[in-house]
Amino acid sequence: MRDLPTGPALLALARDVLLNELLPLLPPTAHLQARLVANSMAIAEREALSGAAPAPGILHALKEFYDEGGEGGEGLMRRFARDLRIGTFEGSELRERHAREILWGLTIAKLRNANPRFLNANGFS
Amino acid sequence: MARFLAQASGAATVEITGLVPLRGGAVQENWAVDARFSGGALAGEQRLVLRTAAPTGVPASLGRLEEFAVLKAAFAAGVTVPEPLWASDDPEIMGKPFFTMQRVEGTAAAHRITRDPALAPTLPAIAERLGRELARIHTIRPPRTDLAFLAPYEKAQPAHQIAGFRAYLDSHPTPRPVLEWGIRWLETHIPPPTDPVLCHHDFRTGNYMLDGAALTGILDWEFSGWGDPHEDIGWFCSKGWRFARLDREAGGIADRAPFYQGYESESARPVDPRRVLFWEVLASARWAVIALQQSDRYMIGGERNLDLALTGRRATECELEILMLLDSGGVASSA
Repeated sequence: MRDLPTGPALLALARDVLLNELLPLLPPTAHLQARLVANSMAIAEREALSGAAPAPGILHALKEFYDEGGEGGEGLMRRFARDLRIGTFEGSELRERHAREILWGLTIAKLRNANPRFLNANGFS
Repeated sequence: MARFLAQASGAATVEITGLVPLRGGAVQENWAVDARFSGGALAGEQRLVLRTAAPTGVPASLGRLEEFAVLKAAFAAGVTVPEPLWASDDPEIMGKPFFTMQRVEGTAAAHRITRDPALAPTLPAIAERLGRELARIHTIRPPRTDLAFLAPYEKAQPAHQIAGFRAYLDSHPTPRPVLEWGIRWLETHIPPPTDPVLCHHDFRTGNYMLDGAALTGILDWEFSGWGDPHEDIGWFCSKGWRFARLDREAGGIADRAPFYQGYESESARPVDPRRVLFWEVLASARWAVIALQQSDRYMIGGERNLDLALTGRRATECELEILMLLDSGGVASSA
């Protein structure tokens, strides 16, 4: 058990202090760097909240896709990437569509952490 | 540096009166140099830029002397660029190769250009002008003895680029299934070869200077090489370079129409949308790989730079764009 406030809560507060209290005191030449720091803190906060794996649902979908229970997430993702490279699923419309659904899900899940604003700007809530 | 400038320009002496690092240019270092020339070709006060390599670079980048030769060729072809002056690889001067050019006025800040409401009414005309500028760049064609160092066209062809992307991904610690899928599409949709031209290979918003509504210079020629002219068009229009205005498909500044019109009227060649789509998908794959390589400069190269470290995260944005370009109907079932 850790003391409170949580890591993500501290990051959110620190980011707020940085943007609203410190940034106005910095010279304009330092604003871009300060915003990059704030952006990094926001990513770290979202990743801390969502856990280590970017998308547990995606790993589950991949296990179903390959009908495999044993192989770890990283190994399955590597196998998936390798199969996509050589067009393994192109002979089956169903498998191909299923693979694309996994790609969409993976990408959207990663962007929810890395850049939700970009996701919104592209029409994804 | 003062002695070098004096010798190159034929001045009796040169006094450096100002030396300030310029922002931008993640791969190169740029310095604003103010100098007072006593006599010679540039007698009087001069505002110059000195360009040299950052501590670590990306592998596809030209050397500074080579970039200088490309800049000279573009200047001679009538492209709007800062006038190239002198270059040297003498280690006694700076410890690394560099070149100098005239400093042009204005801003290249892409977010400002794509956001500024005062600039908005002039942007379609700027897009048209940029189309013309690009067509002028594409009048430079092989063979050129002054550009003999550029890799042969075969190395810029899609199959070669695809092999490069895959070689990089093989060395990358994390699997990238979306990139692999997009690259597979590229491999199976390669357009027929075309007559090669000089491609800027980073022709985009952020790499040209605007002084108000006036275009003052196309910058950053470090990735130039022979290629398909549609490659530069696809790169300019790809979503990664639209900044604050994803809806303006020509570089975040305008619709495609004025950009294409400028290009077509200057080159007298039609823009082929199918080829542009291919190169736009390749642009997203290429930008994804570059983003990961930039991040490697921190992760592997040890370059302590937060901007570079964060750039790796942008690879997933490129992957989203690849999916949107190639599978726009598939999103509903997955979002």
